[in-house]
Amino acid sequence: MISVRTAKGYDLPIKGAPLETSQTIASPATVAVLPEHIPFVRPRLAVAEGDRVAVGDLLFTDKTNLRFRFLSPGGGRIDAIHYGPRRVLREIVIRRDVENEPVTSLGRPLDGEAIDRYPRAELVAHLLAGGVWPLLRALPYRGIADPEQVPPAIFVSLDHREPFQVPPARYLENNRALFELGLRALKRLSPTVHVHADAADRAFCEAHQGLITHTVQGRYPADDPGVVLFHVRRSPEENTAWFIDGQDVLLMAHLLQSGAYPTARLFAVAGTGAAEPRYVASRLGAPIKDLAGEIGCRDPRYLVGGVLRGYTGDPEGHMGLYETALAVLPEPGDVDFLTLFRPGPNKPTYSRTFLSALRRAPLPMTTNVNGGRRACIACGYCADVCPVDIWPQMTLKSILAEEVEEYLAQGLLDCVECGLCTYVCPSKIELAATLQAAKHAYRKEQA
Amino acid sequence: MKAIRTLFHHLRPRFEEGGPYHKLYAFYESIETVFFGPVERSEGLPHVRDSLDVKRFMALVIVALIPHLCFGIYNSGFQSRLASGLSTDLLPVIWSGIWLVLPMVIVTYVVGFAWEILFAVVRKHEISEGLFVSCMLFPLTLPPGTPLWQVALGISFGIVIGKEVFGGTGRNFLNPALTGRAFLYFAYPVSLSGDQVWTVLSGARTTVVDTFTAATPLSVSASIPAGQGVEETLHSMGYGALKLFGGLYPGSVGGTSALLCILGGLFLILLGIASYRIILGGVLGVLCTGALLNLIAGPDSAPFLSLNPFYHLIMGGSAFGIVYMTTDPVSATHMKHVKWIYGFMCGMLTVLIRVFNPAFPEGVGLAILFMNLFNPLLDHIEVQLRMRRRIPNV
Repeated sequence: MISVRTAKGYDLPIKGAPLETSQTIASPATVAVLPEHIPFVRPRLAVAEGDRVAVGDLLFTDKTNLRFRFLSPGGGRIDAIHYGPRRVLREIVIRRDVENEPVTSLGRPLDGEAIDRYPRAELVAHLLAGGVWPLLRALPYRGIADPEQVPPAIFVSLDHREPFQVPPARYLENNRALFELGLRALKRLSPTVHVHADAADRAFCEAHQGLITHTVQGRYPADDPGVVLFHVRRSPEENTAWFIDGQDVLLMAHLLQSGAYPTARLFAVAGTGAAEPRYVASRLGAPIKDLAGEIGCRDPRYLVGGVLRGYTGDPEGHMGLYETALAVLPEPGDVDFLTLFRPGPNKPTYSRTFLSALRRAPLPMTTNVNGGRRACIACGYCADVCPVDIWPQMTLKSILAEEVEEYLAQGLLDCVECGLCTYVCPSKIELAATLQAAKHAYRKEQA
Repeated sequence: MKAIRTLFHHLRPRFEEGGPYHKLYAFYESIETVFFGPVERSEGLPHVRDSLDVKRFMALVIVALIPHLCFGIYNSGFQSRLASGLSTDLLPVIWSGIWLVLPMVIVTYVVGFAWEILFAVVRKHEISEGLFVSCMLFPLTLPPGTPLWQVALGISFGIVIGKEVFGGTGRNFLNPALTGRAFLYFAYPVSLSGDQVWTVLSGARTTVVDTFTAATPLSVSASIPAGQGVEETLHSMGYGALKLFGGLYPGSVGGTSALLCILGGLFLILLGIASYRIILGGVLGVLCTGALLNLIAGPDSAPFLSLNPFYHLIMGGSAFGIVYMTTDPVSATHMKHVKWIYGFMCGMLTVLIRVFNPAFPEGVGLAILFMNLFNPLLDHIEVQLRMRRRIPNV
């Protein structure tokens, strides 16, 4: 195992982690697919409200690449198709026939040896037709991997450093053989497959020694595939590496092993707004309300994916294709009187300006911005936490001045969109969002 | 507390869009957020935000400066009464000091705040708290008893020309407080230089009592004839090392005490507000340059060259400048490693100006302003060097 060390980054001291011992099983009445949150996809619908579908039936394809197929995670009836502003396709909701769910077969089951013998092009076609190809994504833009390319490497990330993610030990517990099958398939796609895990989980790393190629040391987001790539790459060609999440490898392997579209998903439900923070074994695209369970605060916000990188979920909506964490945090209420002059033993901060800096205990957080918007005062905190050595305050200025060569040379495309720069900024500048927007704009220009 | 909440609740609509005082919203907002922190929902990436904001960041610098203000009040009163031959009991000294110093501070804040409100209203943004630090620093760098109209003019120049014309806090490249100070120095040298300006006489006296030394340690050091030892001369004038370290001698209002500067500097470094790189760089710059001058000092050269380098740190405003002025994050270098160079150069230039330019007994302010001009260049160099080390990703 190669050890990769990241000096920067930051572990958010946030309260509300799921209880290690608490895991429930759920069988939701509805499941959904959220095209809006699949990066860079322009959906072309293949179904209408009221249609009957089986698990694995086509729901929509991508207009920019018709080989990308998105299949139904449930069998039953299309209950609703929700659109957002400008007719953006938000949700395709399927009401399941819970008792007798129809399932479509997506090809013959394969074992490990069959996968090793499978020609690469056919394996790619198999994964595309089976609807699991979109789980493979490509750096630096994190869109769906291009099936025409052979990537320099695939990073399998067993990461959970962002608060409230599902630890890999939990989903690999009884699935190691399935995971190994998935890795065998990935090795057919790329000459190099890296599997990285957090070195802090010593027991986990020892138990899975044969699987893990890299152990990562450091704070969030040290185990992000982009950060690992930043540390292990030797040449610019490696920048277009692919990555896939550990749980998604299981989904891919499930398709290959059984010939049916995978539907199982293990979620983490957490945050101070969730009355019972726990793990839930449920279905791909499970409804948010079902997962969240009882709510322990007045004005909750549902964060799908995580408190840093996630998006705000509709309480009546469902989880996306990629997200395995649901955090519930309270929206800000009335703030304390004279906060400015309080020593702040309970105020979470990266800086050392509150008493909380003396004890690294988990603290409750809200979605308050916690300050007025100001011009950059060059405190340098953003550069101190950036895991890939970008100096966000400098890059922000280059972006605002539209100095394209400048901000690319400063490493904009290395940005892993971890959100830490915005988190620590005392001037409350939307650094991460600006960098992300610039990345997406540059991608559009390249296309 | 509830009453105050209700009061703000009541007042807010008058300052909001459509209210009669909408133009003064920036002013209202800056007051309200002192009592109740602002509430704004984040939009994501990330959903949670750090508790630290610029208001607290700047407020903590002011906290670090309060001991300097208190000591400045005492010292100004003490020197004034000593020079006038009056009793130096604690209460009368503080009373005299308050009358000397507080009007300067109040005028600075009123005038500075007025400019800031004007620009905030015209530019339609909120008031940036950097102003409150500048307004605290500025009077501390002046001699006690500077005419109030000059104080008002100086802070106006500092805020408007030093900062607002470039876009306000965060976009200035000079330290606003020092810009105002330098403007006064060159515009009104009579009231801001020489030996007489540092002590204000009280009562009916027009000359200092015979036992009182009005000359500052810096001007003493600069005017010692060749052949005499500097430390001995300073000592014979009553400026022993301990006294210089403590700060109870004539000088600017808040900048004389090296002891308080060390405490304030430690406070700011521990809280992560001031850059230790700049401060240590500055201290090293002063010591190295002082030591280098010791080496080249011959028997015929000016005795100031052979001064113990540590005296450069404890005399005059160098400690105050290094701890509070160089570390203004906006006008300092923004990149990390060149902060050492910036700090070092500030310290070095301070000593060189002191020793080689008899027109300026104190060089720290000008040294810092001069180095402020080079900071964009230093940043550019570090950015270029670090960019070259990256494996490109385009």
